[in-house]
Amino acid sequence: MTKITNRFFKRTFLTLLISSLMMVALMPQTAVWGAFGEDLEKPKPEFTREGDVITAKLIPRAKSTSVSIHFQVSDGRLIDVEGMDFKEAEHPSVDNKDFKSELFMIKIDKVSQGGEVKVSITSDFFSSSTQYWVFNRTSKEPWMNADVQNLSLPDLVQKLVVSIKDGGPMDSDGVADGRISIAGGPKDSFWGYALGTLFIRFFGIFLVLSILMIGMIISGKVFQKFDRKKAKMAKEIQLPPAAATPEIQPAETVGSELATAICVALHLHLSELRPTATSHFFTPIISPWARQGRERIMNARSIPTNRGNRLQNR
Amino acid sequence: MTWDQVLELIKGILLTQTGIPNLYIGQVIMILISFFFLYLAVAKEYEPLLLVPIGFGIFLVNFPLVPLMGFTEHGDPELIRAFYKYGVQWEIIPCLIFLGLGAMTDFGPLIANPKTLIIGAGAQLGVFITYCGTLFFGFTLKEAASVGIIGGADGPTTIYLTAMLAPHLLGPNALAAYSYMAMVPLIQPPIMRLMTTPEQRQIKMRQLRPVSAKEKLLFPLIASIFIILLIPAVAPLMGMFMFGNFMRECGVVKRLSDTAQNAMMNIVTILLGLSVGATMQADVFLSWKPMLIFGFGLLDFIICTFGGILTVHIMNLFLKEKMNPLIGSAGVSAVPMAARVSQVEGQKADPDNWLIMHAMGPNLAGVIGSASAAGMFIAMFK
Repeated sequence: MTKITNRFFKRTFLTLLISSLMMVALMPQTAVWGAFGEDLEKPKPEFTREGDVITAKLIPRAKSTSVSIHFQVSDGRLIDVEGMDFKEAEHPSVDNKDFKSELFMIKIDKVSQGGEVKVSITSDFFSSSTQYWVFNRTSKEPWMNADVQNLSLPDLVQKLVVSIKDGGPMDSDGVADGRISIAGGPKDSFWGYALGTLFIRFFGIFLVLSILMIGMIISGKVFQKFDRKKAKMAKEIQLPPAAATPEIQPAETVGSELATAICVALHLHLSELRPTATSHFFTPIISPWARQGRERIMNARSIPTNRGNRLQNR
Repeated sequence: MTWDQVLELIKGILLTQTGIPNLYIGQVIMILISFFFLYLAVAKEYEPLLLVPIGFGIFLVNFPLVPLMGFTEHGDPELIRAFYKYGVQWEIIPCLIFLGLGAMTDFGPLIANPKTLIIGAGAQLGVFITYCGTLFFGFTLKEAASVGIIGGADGPTTIYLTAMLAPHLLGPNALAAYSYMAMVPLIQPPIMRLMTTPEQRQIKMRQLRPVSAKEKLLFPLIASIFIILLIPAVAPLMGMFMFGNFMRECGVVKRLSDTAQNAMMNIVTILLGLSVGATMQADVFLSWKPMLIFGFGLLDFIICTFGGILTVHIMNLFLKEKMNPLIGSAGVSAVPMAARVSQVEGQKADPDNWLIMHAMGPNLAGVIGSASAAGMFIAMFK
């Protein structure tokens, strides 16, 4: 790349970088929301009834697997539980992202007039910080915290117990008529969850890789120690003194003329032997039988010359 | 047959069976975008192995009435839809790519200096910061995670996670990841220079110890045990990666290892590139979201580079033998380009400083780190 094209690409890149960062920084959040529009993660609960218990099965926001939420009532009869669209209860004071399992409309009858019922909502999807918020259109402040009792059961199940008074502020019909309807849903702080889990998971990566690092350091030390030991053993093993080379007798002195003549003769002889075209040598295909034989021969050799470790010879 | 009937027949053919009357401006824009990516791949050689099939995929699917990404009357997938369904949607191709990458990878530099694993973790900083940023801009948690992982600079991981969490963003995410990976030599050096002093850039690191073949052979087993026990959700990616590496190191299945490195890798790259490109149809791609993704992707790369270098600075506070902070930028997993950038920048400061092998450690740690981050996200949304 020439200097000019290089400079051109660098400038283009920097311009793109600055403009895209500015775009991200300056774009009003509302415009982005408007641009995206649809709610892709809207939970669609399916309800089943088993005796006095109604179970909602749904895929909550930010989850890929379904969860079950069980509804049960004491001191009254649970007529029905229905899913409720958040749009019906939209209010600036709440964000639908906080309601991961969307909203429910719980209908109860056979309540003593003006009496109180306890609604139990149980799921392993709830945490100890899950709240239950109730919506009542007729109230001044339509959204209110139901101040539930959050009880921990075995197998990480949480039970939310909501106390509702017939005709009270959380009763949607607002009349003490022996019937109660409650609109609302379990609420978890979206940002609390997002940032909390973010922090934990980022440090989780450090933890995982640190554990791997420690494992590798330890195994590395073991291998190094093993290799050093092996090298030391190899040094200690020496050839027997009997195998010492016999004393070499000094050769007869050769005159320079004779040496030159021998060299020339050797040169001429070898030049004639040298092939004119390049030869290709092919390794013959070794049968398993021959390979096994070779391996046996290699293994039978004395220790200093044994290089039978296939991995090292690879 | 009267002239009117003939004209009506011709009109019918033109309107329903040819593309010209059905072509709209969005498709023309997408075809131009495909030309841009093909230009980058062919003329500039930016990640050509992926940008060529991706570019051609964009080019093909943006013609009107083409039977490529839809379903037939009987509900069977059309050609590229079939590649997409069985390869990407079923999450097979990214795992096969990891198998091939494992077979290509020599973990020697990482085994020789395991401390560099921490740099690979630090370089995931951008993944999580971008995740937060995108949430602020109205992305859902799953979408935010799929955009955040772009900064990990690991194409197959990005595709794997996006296909799992936000398949509608697959095209822009994959394109952003591969485009920025190709631009690593442009993106990283200014940040590297900004975050280091000339003296720090001149730090020479001790030569790495030799790693025995047995140690290399056992590494995939040891790493799999630790990683999969701690993050089971990452088993498909990491399991394939380590299996590929074990095939390479054991030395007794050279044919399989060669196939994983070459023939299989090439086939799945073609299918992956075409499938990803084909998801970028005009009506899906031309919106605010892909543009934001490109903006955030860039930011993500920058923060990841920053995170890697910062991690080395922090580690140097505790180490007797200081590390050259330039190798921190290689913690993003764009292998081996990020390591090469560290080498080039190091040599600019001191022509006699050879950092490439030292930078390969964090580079490989980045692969493990980004796959771990993906595993963390998958586990979070289960």
